[in-house]
Amino acid sequence: MSGFDWLFFTEVSLAGLGAGALLALTGLAFVLIYKATKVVNLAIGEMLMIGAYVFFSFTAGLGLPWWAALIAALAAGGLLGAVVERAIIRPMLGESAISVFMVTIGLGSVLIGLVELTWGAAPTSLPDFMGKAPVFIGPAYVSRKIVIGFAVAAAVIAVFLIAFRYWRGGVALRATATDQGAAYSCGINVPAIFSMAWVFAGVAAAGAGVLVGAVGGISPNMGVFGLSALVVVIVGGLDSIAGALIGGILVGLIEAWAGTYLGGEYKLLTTFGLLLIVLMIRPYGLFGTVEIERL
Amino acid sequence: MRIGTAKQTYAADEALFDTNVQRAWMGLFIALCVAFPFMASEYWLYMACLVAIHVISVTGLNIVTGFTGLVSLGQAAFMGVGAYAVAYAETKLGTPALLNLLAAGLLTAAVGALVGIPSLRVKGLYLAIATIASSIILHFIFANWDSVTNGVKGVSVPPARIFGVELGRPFALYFLILPLAFLSVLGAANLFRTRIGRAFIAIRDRDISAEVLGIPLLRYKLMSFALASFYAGVAGGLWAYFFRVVTPESFPFVYSIFFLAAIIVGGMGSILGSILGAVFMTMVPEVLKIGVGVASPLLSDAVAVLSPVRTIVFGILIIGFLVFEPHGLAEIWSRIRRFFHLWPFKT
Amino acid sequence: MTLTRRSALALALAAGTALAAPAALAADDIVIAGSIPLTGVFAFAGVGVHAGIQDYVKIANDAGGIEGRKITYVAEDTAYKVDQSVAVFNKLTGANKVHLYYGDSTGFAKTINPELNRRGSILMAGASFATELNDPKAYPNQFMAGPDYTEMFGILLQHIAKVKPGAKVAFVNSDTEFGRDPIAPSEAMAKKLGLDVVVKIVTPPTAVDVSTEILKLRRADPDFTIFHGYVLAPLPEFMTQAKQLGLKTKFMGTFWSMDNSLWPKVGDAADGYMGVMPYRYYFDTEGKSSMLEKIRAMRPEYQSTPYMQGFLTAMLFVESARRTVKAGKELNGANLKAALNSIENFDTGGIIGTPITIKGNSIPVGRVYRFDAAKKSMVAESDWIQLGK
Repeated sequence: MSGFDWLFFTEVSLAGLGAGALLALTGLAFVLIYKATKVVNLAIGEMLMIGAYVFFSFTAGLGLPWWAALIAALAAGGLLGAVVERAIIRPMLGESAISVFMVTIGLGSVLIGLVELTWGAAPTSLPDFMGKAPVFIGPAYVSRKIVIGFAVAAAVIAVFLIAFRYWRGGVALRATATDQGAAYSCGINVPAIFSMAWVFAGVAAAGAGVLVGAVGGISPNMGVFGLSALVVVIVGGLDSIAGALIGGILVGLIEAWAGTYLGGEYKLLTTFGLLLIVLMIRPYGLFGTVEIERL
Repeated sequence: MRIGTAKQTYAADEALFDTNVQRAWMGLFIALCVAFPFMASEYWLYMACLVAIHVISVTGLNIVTGFTGLVSLGQAAFMGVGAYAVAYAETKLGTPALLNLLAAGLLTAAVGALVGIPSLRVKGLYLAIATIASSIILHFIFANWDSVTNGVKGVSVPPARIFGVELGRPFALYFLILPLAFLSVLGAANLFRTRIGRAFIAIRDRDISAEVLGIPLLRYKLMSFALASFYAGVAGGLWAYFFRVVTPESFPFVYSIFFLAAIIVGGMGSILGSILGAVFMTMVPEVLKIGVGVASPLLSDAVAVLSPVRTIVFGILIIGFLVFEPHGLAEIWSRIRRFFHLWPFKT
Repeated sequence: MTLTRRSALALALAAGTALAAPAALAADDIVIAGSIPLTGVFAFAGVGVHAGIQDYVKIANDAGGIEGRKITYVAEDTAYKVDQSVAVFNKLTGANKVHLYYGDSTGFAKTINPELNRRGSILMAGASFATELNDPKAYPNQFMAGPDYTEMFGILLQHIAKVKPGAKVAFVNSDTEFGRDPIAPSEAMAKKLGLDVVVKIVTPPTAVDVSTEILKLRRADPDFTIFHGYVLAPLPEFMTQAKQLGLKTKFMGTFWSMDNSLWPKVGDAADGYMGVMPYRYYFDTEGKSSMLEKIRAMRPEYQSTPYMQGFLTAMLFVESARRTVKAGKELNGANLKAALNSIENFDTGGIIGTPITIKGNSIPVGRVYRFDAAKKSMVAESDWIQLGK
């Protein structure tokens, strides 16, 4: 060995950043829903899958240009979020967090079945819409899809961060997250906020689904990606958008390093090990709100 | 409360079965269970054994999740620990089967207590995720500790032998698995008549209040995890004897979700719920399959076409129960009982 | 098979009984049962296998069955879960007198093996090509309708050693039982063939992004990269990125990632992808293949490679049963297996392009096909390669 290969390390790190961005975008969908409705939505991976499949139908099936299909996929994702919130989550208001969590597991199963019924069980890949030329940052190579994924995820998260800071609806959502009762009495339409959070989360998930599908292909079991994203939001803190971003990048980097220097079989081990360590030190994640309990 | 069962002592009030009618029903049920293997086909015996193994595991999970309020998504991985313990003992040490099962339970209990440590600081859903992490780590150990687990290839387990009798078929195993399931359920039911069980319930209802009442959270939370894992370990050991091959892929994460779904469908914090949930969730796919079979004359090749429907129905059942019947099958059961008790009056 | 006095006597006896009670036997169906994964992660294969078995059974019955006995096929969905597979096994064998069984996974094959040996009445094959199952001593009542995974690697490595002696090879496998199966023995085999295994990459089962693995591959710069333990993802991403980087490596895969419907959607990036196929494709027209013509007449649209696997498995089932019945022997596991192993230079009707001989539990024959993106289909790259010859 002639010293440490810094170029290789940089390339690996860049790849990790890109993968982290995809995780962060999915994590964003988790956080939006949790912030507004205190629901951990384990079906987010399946919602992501629906987005990818709708995109697939419109491009490969109907032959629409990719941007039109993307809009359709995002709209479908939003619609799915709205329907799920209204039909399943709303009746569960006031139930224990665990029950609602389990409801979303059931939802995931339903969505998988629907996809198998509609599109069949075979794995397939999305038509290429991102171009082919390789990207080099200095001498370091980065995959093009990963660069695009990173840019999109960063932009979307930035937009959400700004919206929550300044936009009226965003402020209302934050108010609801802090104290539902107080938000109600200030004239905020809390049920509408719930719907809004789910719609936005559905849109974000569909967008993430198209990106993930473009990178890794689509199949009825691509929803497992949601599990990695779950790690991200737990590490970052369930109710922090910035936490999702930083958690995503952290997990992405660590996975990349572990995969390269230890071997692929260590990837999951290190991410979940990281998760346990973070939880032991900071039980509500790095940026999550500490819930103060009173008797 | 039934008419005509005024209790005069505390012992009577705490009894598991408080009326003679109940005892009679119970006796009939046991008699049926004993007679079952002589009447049933291979398939039904197989299902009965599987259900009984699930009952043990689900009862364990209900102790930690339903009664102590600590959500665990690691029950399948714990079963894996028990299964590997039995496989190792059976192939490398050659110790007797009942001892192996006990050892599997104890080892898994120790692992469970270790996994329970985050529960001291971490609560609610964060804890649920921490148990996912533990099960991923256990899975990694199963797949990579070659000298004990034989890596991804897994271990083939010889049939259980008890006092020289080989228990290879479901028919024979039934007489090992079912009594153990009975014992487990009885143990759990009695647990909640003791100080420890009540402490668990107090922790579930409000852990800070429980601490104020003088319940050491550390000890009881770990004890709850250890107990649940003991159940899982025994269930896993039986699983190993039942399927006779243990691989890392035998205990996937979805299996843990299956157990959690079973206690929710059955009824959280209810012993009866554990049983009903395990039976229901194990049988649903089979019943749906029969449904598909009934539909096949109407639709050509219904097996292939209608199969995804099963996945959907499975999900809808979970959602439906949680939305419309949050206390699960146990609640439906007691409603039916109440109806007969109070008939002809309305509830 | 040598004709000893005892077997001659048995033959005569059996012939006698067959003559004495032909009607009773004719009413007796020969039953093929199956645990088929029509849902779950392996559903894409299960659906094909199911159709393949159904079609061959229909062809065989139309041709008069086995010595006048009808063949029936019963199957149930398993969702690719071992416990459900075993449940299906118990159910189907309880309701029918099953002679032949199709199992859906390696886990199931291993789980049910003690029971098969105990019953001794069933011959089983299935969707698993696990190396471990290719052991007639441990798995006397099972076989696989193709080469096992190590043999698939062997076929690929032989092909490589022929076209480019001393080539640098990389192995990429998923971190599952399926993925790890052939890696260790294949490394030894590569060494024996004078090939240099420069890097072995393991990906976690849930891998989506493969950028870091590509970087490793780029550093190792192999001539050939063999994938195993995947169906489709993440192969296309590997190919796309390798093409972007201008890597010289050629990509190869094993049976389950060889279906022709997978690759046209991947497009140009998949051009030149090669893999081992034990069977002909639906659209292959070279040579004379009566069975492919029948399939094309029955089903005008493309049929998948799992379909061919199911079809051939059913053919071997029926052939074994036919030989057993013809010999007048009882239809049980040992006799069926012996009949299967008596298959020598057998013409599969073109499903496999060369006559096959089944010595043990596998058929170590295959051919390297290459994906041609311009034609949008797989084309033959090598001749049929028979291992151990």
